[in-house]
Amino acid sequence: MMKGIGTKELIVVWIAAVMVAGIGGPSSPAAAQPIKIGLMAPLTGPAAADGLSAKQSCEMLVEQVNAAGGINGRKIELIVYDDQFDSKQAVTVAQKMIEGDKVVAGVSGSYSFTTRAAAQVFQEEKIPFSVGYALHPAITEGGKYVFRVTVLGHVQGRAGGYAAGNLLKVKTVSMLIQDNDFGQSLASGFREQAEGLGVKVLSADKFKMGEKEFSPVLTKIKQLNPDLIYNTAYPIDGALILKQAADLGIKTQQMGSEGLDSTKGFLDVAGKAAEGIIITTNLDRDSKAEITRKYLDEYQKKYGFAPDMTGASTYDALLMVIDAIKKVGTDADKIVDAFRAMKGWQGVTGQIQAFTPQGEVIKNVELQVVRSNVFRHFGVVSDLKLLTP
Amino acid sequence: MGLGYLTTIGTLVCIYAILAISLNIISGYAGQASLGHAAFFGIGAYASALLTLKLGIGFWVAAPLAMMAAGAIGAVVGVISLRIKGDFLAVTTIGINFVIVTVFEYSDFFGGAYGIMGIQYPTLFGVKISKGYYLLMCLGFVGLCALFSLLVSKSWLGLALEAIRENEAAAEASGINCAKFKIIAFAFGCAWAGLAGVLFAHFMRFITPNDFAFPISITIVAMMVVGGIGTLRGPILGALLMAALPELLRPLANYRLLFYGGLIVLMTRFQPQGLFGDKAFILRMLLGRGPRSMRHSGD
Amino acid sequence: MVQQFLNGIITGSLYALIAVGLTMVYGILRILHIAHAAVFVGGAYIGLVAYTFTGSLVLALIAAAAGCSVLGYLIQRYLYTPMLTEERIVPLIASVGLFILCEDLFRLLGGPYIRAFKVDLWFEKIAFLEAVVTAHQVLILITTAVCLLVVYAVISKTKLGLAWQATAQDMDTARAMGVNIRQVVTFNFIIASSIAAIAGVMTAINYNSVLPTMGSVISYKMFAIVVLGGMGSIPGTVVASLIIGMSETFMSAYFGFIMPRDAIAFTAMILILIVRPQGLFGRAR
Repeated sequence: MMKGIGTKELIVVWIAAVMVAGIGGPSSPAAAQPIKIGLMAPLTGPAAADGLSAKQSCEMLVEQVNAAGGINGRKIELIVYDDQFDSKQAVTVAQKMIEGDKVVAGVSGSYSFTTRAAAQVFQEEKIPFSVGYALHPAITEGGKYVFRVTVLGHVQGRAGGYAAGNLLKVKTVSMLIQDNDFGQSLASGFREQAEGLGVKVLSADKFKMGEKEFSPVLTKIKQLNPDLIYNTAYPIDGALILKQAADLGIKTQQMGSEGLDSTKGFLDVAGKAAEGIIITTNLDRDSKAEITRKYLDEYQKKYGFAPDMTGASTYDALLMVIDAIKKVGTDADKIVDAFRAMKGWQGVTGQIQAFTPQGEVIKNVELQVVRSNVFRHFGVVSDLKLLTP
Repeated sequence: MGLGYLTTIGTLVCIYAILAISLNIISGYAGQASLGHAAFFGIGAYASALLTLKLGIGFWVAAPLAMMAAGAIGAVVGVISLRIKGDFLAVTTIGINFVIVTVFEYSDFFGGAYGIMGIQYPTLFGVKISKGYYLLMCLGFVGLCALFSLLVSKSWLGLALEAIRENEAAAEASGINCAKFKIIAFAFGCAWAGLAGVLFAHFMRFITPNDFAFPISITIVAMMVVGGIGTLRGPILGALLMAALPELLRPLANYRLLFYGGLIVLMTRFQPQGLFGDKAFILRMLLGRGPRSMRHSGD
Repeated sequence: MVQQFLNGIITGSLYALIAVGLTMVYGILRILHIAHAAVFVGGAYIGLVAYTFTGSLVLALIAAAAGCSVLGYLIQRYLYTPMLTEERIVPLIASVGLFILCEDLFRLLGGPYIRAFKVDLWFEKIAFLEAVVTAHQVLILITTAVCLLVVYAVISKTKLGLAWQATAQDMDTARAMGVNIRQVVTFNFIIASSIAAIAGVMTAINYNSVLPTMGSVISYKMFAIVVLGGMGSIPGTVVASLIIGMSETFMSAYFGFIMPRDAIAFTAMILILIVRPQGLFGRAR
């Protein structure tokens, strides 16, 4: 059976192999080795939509930076792993990117409990970990290597309560609270601030992520007739709250959180029922900042639809890492110090005023209103007393 | 491949192996369907987390207490199984899984939706156990659990359970107290699941209700079935295969979950007795002859 | 009150549409058919594609029912039937695997993002007795009634239906009496899958959304209803659907969401089973 391959051919193959190895292998200079940055996101499983938004945003950013010459001549290589919305896989993936791929920093484009589980690993391995949109309060408790670029749920909730009491001047509110850490931390902040401003909470009902039938609770709320209905839902649940409220003839002003900041999931499903709702978020669609404009335009151009909060927040989380590496190189402790020193850093989701010692960000909360099925600027909450965790 | 990465996977495999072996005592030996095993996994994890954090009890005392808690509630399910049978019982255990996870999720005592944080690695003689030794410890517990399972199957208890599985009415007629043995099977099986929970809680050091939801129960059942229900090696090898599968399939990236589901379909369709069960082609290839029963029973 | 009653009926109707197919499958093959939820989601996607191309809801429903009948037939013929002699837990796990596979297939084909499924009917909503019903909800009520009547008529009046009843009673006896079991099983899956497809389209329209994971809650929750109804009893399943729909609605309306909707359903099921271990309409086996 060896008849087909003669010695001559073998030599040719061997020479070719040596040549290929010579070109691609050790002869390339060390300086041109790419800088590896890890991204974990839920790319399959129930949260795949948010994972894809995060991944697409990060891939776009890496393309842009590499096209502009990379970081000091070195290209960035984005190592993307799927955590499947499962904290066990998040831990495994964190280990894999740190040990196997030797990433210089990690970025989370994932949900709270997966991020919380992975943060522990990054802290132990002393690798910087930049968190996009996960709101669990204990994520940064891990230690000094973990940072979050979005405001805490409690803080964002306070901003919502402030907007309700001071800007909209409502007297009564009914709350619809998603029963996970996201919904509850927002609700606790909202309640604290709103009640402090003299707003009366008429009802507070919990619901589970994925709930579809809000008519029973909305029927009850209709009889209470509050000035405002505040929900802490994710896109589809929130869209159904608005739609079913409209069906029941409820004309009350609605308010939501960054959980609704999604074009495909929220605006498309809610349709005209979304008109007039105000949300607290970090992405200002009417921002004058060039970086935000560029992100909104290029994402739309590249992927064919308007980006959402999860994508923008993860973009910022990665951009901060890249900017820190540009400044101080790839040493983990230097990156962490650079993070801490980032006062006035401008990202897609607004300007960072400072980081707290814990690694939480202090920045403005944007208020967006839906007009003709697009998010528009409504206001901004910039009171430092409210924004400091 | 990093050592920490392999250690992490190894520890999770061990935890799943204990879960699959313990479920096999209930479903494989006693023939009682249980689709809510993750609930007892959770009870063990939460019990140990709360005992060590709130009462300051050490790991080595908390672990047996957590096992007892899971076993006691398992015995209650055993009592329910006397009244509700067959597929009705299977769906009832789904319900029990939901109710118990809801209790974790909706009461502040159990940390609510935020879960429980700050759980510590255990210490042995005052020294914190490292990740590598933790894996060895988990392996040791898998060995203990397997030994226990072997003893059950070889003893009079195993014979009684098998009689119940094959024909409950006949077993009752021949003087076996079915009620007692069923409750024992549930209590022991669930207690071991509780131990798996303890190991999980102190390994992850952060637990949420989500970690013990119904899909986890299904994963455990799938491990047992894919490996070979009713045997001892089946659940162990099934856990090894199924827990490592998500990582083995990682190169498929976007198609990972698709293949995971597809492999379950293919394995159950073409090896319904389990990949490592008595009629499995893998065994036949290894042994080089026809199926030879390695069942515990005296056949 | 009237509004809450209506909310409960509509929720219960959607449950009934999905659960009837499940109970039919269980009645004949004694399989817990988790992948029924995949058929349901498949129906919603096929319906959406057909509606986008034709603009006709009737054609969308027909396409969904036809497509899902084929899917259901394939599942029955190539997955379940060869497994009937195995331990009962084996087809269940196969079904779980198939459900995971299908959910991910829908994600790969349709993308992970939610898709709107907007259908305008002749009117938007009607109000009476202080209550409001949307056109979509009226459509759900009518469709459920029609589907259930058709199932009832086919099963009690046609020859195939009688054969179905005999098989559901006892497959071996029915075979001995000359019933064509293969035909009955096929017929069973076609009816069950068509109704699931219609339920999928109705759910998608009602909530104006189609997404790959819309079946995940359905996949296990419907078992609470099927078990409550007595496993295999069609009238039992319909009654159980309404009981669960009503209890969820009134619990959440008067006590708030003190526990998640699914936990309510399963708690109701466990309490009733402890009193009646064979379900509401089940025969003691």
